[in-house]
Amino acid sequence: MDKTKTSTDGSSKKEKKHHKKQSKDGQLEANLAENEVSHGCKKEIVNKTNNDATTGTVAQKLSEKELRRIEWEKKLESQKGITVTSNDQSVGQQPSEKELRRLEWEKKLQEQKAGDTGKETLSKAEIKAKRREQQEAQRQAKLAAENAKNAAENVKKVAATTPIKDPGKGLGKVEKKLDFPKKETKKTTDVHKVQLVQHLYAEMPQKKVSKLLVYNNIHPAFVKLGSQYLNKTILGSNARTLALMAALKHLIIDIQTPPKQELCRHLETVLQTCTNHLQNCRPFAVSMVNALRNFKLHLTQVDTNLKDSEKKAKLQDVIDVYIHDDIYKAGDAISLKVKEKISDGDVILIYGCSSLLKKILVDAHKEGKKFKVIVADSRPLLEGKEMLRRLVVAKIECTYIFLNAVSYVMNSVTKVLLGAHALLTNGYVMSRIGTAQVALVAKAYNKPVLVCCETYKFSERVQTDSFVYNEIGDPDLLSKIPNTEDPSPLSKWKENNKLTPLNLLYDVTPPDFVTAVVTEIAILPCTSVPVVLRINAIENT
Amino acid sequence: MPEIESLSDISRLISDIQHKKFTRSYDIALRTEELLQELISKGHWKSAKELMNLVKTRIQLVRENLPQEATAPNIMRHILKVIREEYQSASKKKDEGQSLHELVTSTPSNVLDYSDSLINLRSSILDHLTEYKVELESSSDNIAAQALEHIHTNEIILTVGKSNTVEKFLKRAAKDRIFNVIVVEGAPLYAGHTMAASLAKSNIQTTVIADSAVFAMMSRVNKVIIGTHTVLANGGLRAASGIHAVALAAKHYSVPVMVLSHMYKFCPIYVGSHNHEAFNVCASPANVIPYAFGPILDKIEVNNPVYDYVPPELVTLFISHQGGNSPSYVYRLLSELYHQDDYDI
Repeated sequence: MDKTKTSTDGSSKKEKKHHKKQSKDGQLEANLAENEVSHGCKKEIVNKTNNDATTGTVAQKLSEKELRRIEWEKKLESQKGITVTSNDQSVGQQPSEKELRRLEWEKKLQEQKAGDTGKETLSKAEIKAKRREQQEAQRQAKLAAENAKNAAENVKKVAATTPIKDPGKGLGKVEKKLDFPKKETKKTTDVHKVQLVQHLYAEMPQKKVSKLLVYNNIHPAFVKLGSQYLNKTILGSNARTLALMAALKHLIIDIQTPPKQELCRHLETVLQTCTNHLQNCRPFAVSMVNALRNFKLHLTQVDTNLKDSEKKAKLQDVIDVYIHDDIYKAGDAISLKVKEKISDGDVILIYGCSSLLKKILVDAHKEGKKFKVIVADSRPLLEGKEMLRRLVVAKIECTYIFLNAVSYVMNSVTKVLLGAHALLTNGYVMSRIGTAQVALVAKAYNKPVLVCCETYKFSERVQTDSFVYNEIGDPDLLSKIPNTEDPSPLSKWKENNKLTPLNLLYDVTPPDFVTAVVTEIAILPCTSVPVVLRINAIENT
Repeated sequence: MPEIESLSDISRLISDIQHKKFTRSYDIALRTEELLQELISKGHWKSAKELMNLVKTRIQLVRENLPQEATAPNIMRHILKVIREEYQSASKKKDEGQSLHELVTSTPSNVLDYSDSLINLRSSILDHLTEYKVELESSSDNIAAQALEHIHTNEIILTVGKSNTVEKFLKRAAKDRIFNVIVVEGAPLYAGHTMAASLAKSNIQTTVIADSAVFAMMSRVNKVIIGTHTVLANGGLRAASGIHAVALAAKHYSVPVMVLSHMYKFCPIYVGSHNHEAFNVCASPANVIPYAFGPILDKIEVNNPVYDYVPPELVTLFISHQGGNSPSYVYRLLSELYHQDDYDI
């Protein structure tokens, strides 16, 4: 989501009161009733550029039941004599998106502090009363949004951005965001879901939902990262891990410890909500899980007697060391090892895009090795094009083919180099879909297959097929044919219940196709994964 | 010169194939058959030998101009055999090599020269050809009729790209059985999209996957059913590129690979590997990488082969209108289709 705007509702005094209370108690409320977190309406991020579409989805989401409730609310509202108007004048005066998020974040921290001090004094009855108040406010907010939507239909540029003015305090602007209950009343239909991988659809991020995600307690860096993962602008295990680490550093810099709490404990809970958000955007890569685990381990080991600033410095140091040692230095070591294996006149087949492979090949080329590279690529991601571009810029002689031509070129190939998403304990290599097929053809022609993989991508998971754990990409990517203007016969697949494009993201390559795995430790057979994991575990404790 | 005059028919066919007026092998087969029927009924020939020479020059012309084209020469080769048979029955002379004993001892005693001019030869050959035409026309129906012998309920069947024979076969089976089909899209032509849309219209549960997902999906596939461009003499295939990897994946998971093929796709040529000169052609790279890709295009090489060689050990079964046969039996089918002496034209 690139352009976001705050959205609020009417400007009646009473309603504002509700809102203020509600935001004050937001944290408390969330603690008290976790199930109702989604009701803790605070903000709604509306894609401004896509305003009409968004309101459309909003309307879709309002089930009949909700509509009835809204009607009832309207009645209630009229009894109270509240008029809800939408203010559309100050659209242009909004601070930039980033500032907004920062402000929001800081405000929340302050509220949290206030909330924490007042926590003990609240009796049960008071809490109940507050919750009731809040629910009321929430209903009104929803109604307001509904009205705003109606207004938006009339005035096209309403843009659902209507900041409240607070005459009581004269604060000018208070950012209030509103959201709708996230409990989707979506019927799970089996239409357009491939039977074999039913379970994977549950994890699939829903594009529609993403536009209305609740960004409660989530650091802006993570919000941004989430959308980057979702839109696949950050792709590849290494890139994703590095981006996660960078966001984590931002979080550490910005975090403020609430009174009576310890920084690391607080960070842990905040981090949890942030990572949950990321998980909703796209399931974690194995490398990210491992990197996070390492960070959390260090988080528990930080000396509690240190000052906050010292702790922060220490934690940042942990991240820097991890990036430097486990990712960059490991890459250097692997590059050195593979270089020994590349000789003049080699024809190296690679598949897709891998930052590590690019580094290896460019390093070897700089060394003066004379070799040719064949880049195999496949739809729907066509990552190989990016790889091709990078290699050609480095002046490496390249051939580009689609996956179907692998058999055609395999005779002339001398080595196959592959990247990996993860190495599983049973020796299987989890990688971009298509990798297994390249390895299979290489095996049929008796060509050596080297998988290059840092040890931080080793996983304790075991898997023998590509269905149990996998990710499903956007099926629409398959129904479009690149480079042509004529629509594919598949373009209307949604209209035919019998037709389903399936876009899996990963596959697993059996160890018998892999000659060796090149890691920073050594060149190993696939079956040595558990050994490396065991040794690493011993070293870390 | 009347010689050139008479060759205009085949030249037109060659140019039509070159300009992709006929893309389906069935159309080419029918056209070739009609062409020869006309040649036999209207051509200037007096003996079987002369007629055979006329046909042979046409086969040679096609092979020179279209080294990858197999259907047209195969049809003509089969008609050569028809001519030989009709000549033998008309002249009441027997050719060598029919009985098992003669096969083993192999003493060529009475070689026929086909030079006698026989009165009824023209009409008997034409009769035979009409029969052959009916056989051609009903071939895909006959193949489709066997569908229920090969597809059981709730199967998952994988197919690649588009083949009219396979399409008919699956649709026939769908009338009586419920099963799933996985269609591999077959980049860079994406014929699989058309195939999938057509199958789904016939109420078959269809899943479309990219070429890259073949290995991942193969572990759950019950059968691979594909069409082919040519069946080679050793039982191997010249099929659309990408099928070799599919067949390898099927072999890895022990999934049977069934190849639906008309008889005219069986070709008495041995080709050993992918890189055989006469074996493969490369299509325009524009389908793989667009011309708009930028200045990098000058510095790279792009390959876009059209065919794949699939060795016979990766094929489980050939299904023609005569029924199923294993790759090891292809040599025998060939000797039934064509005369030994016509293999190397």
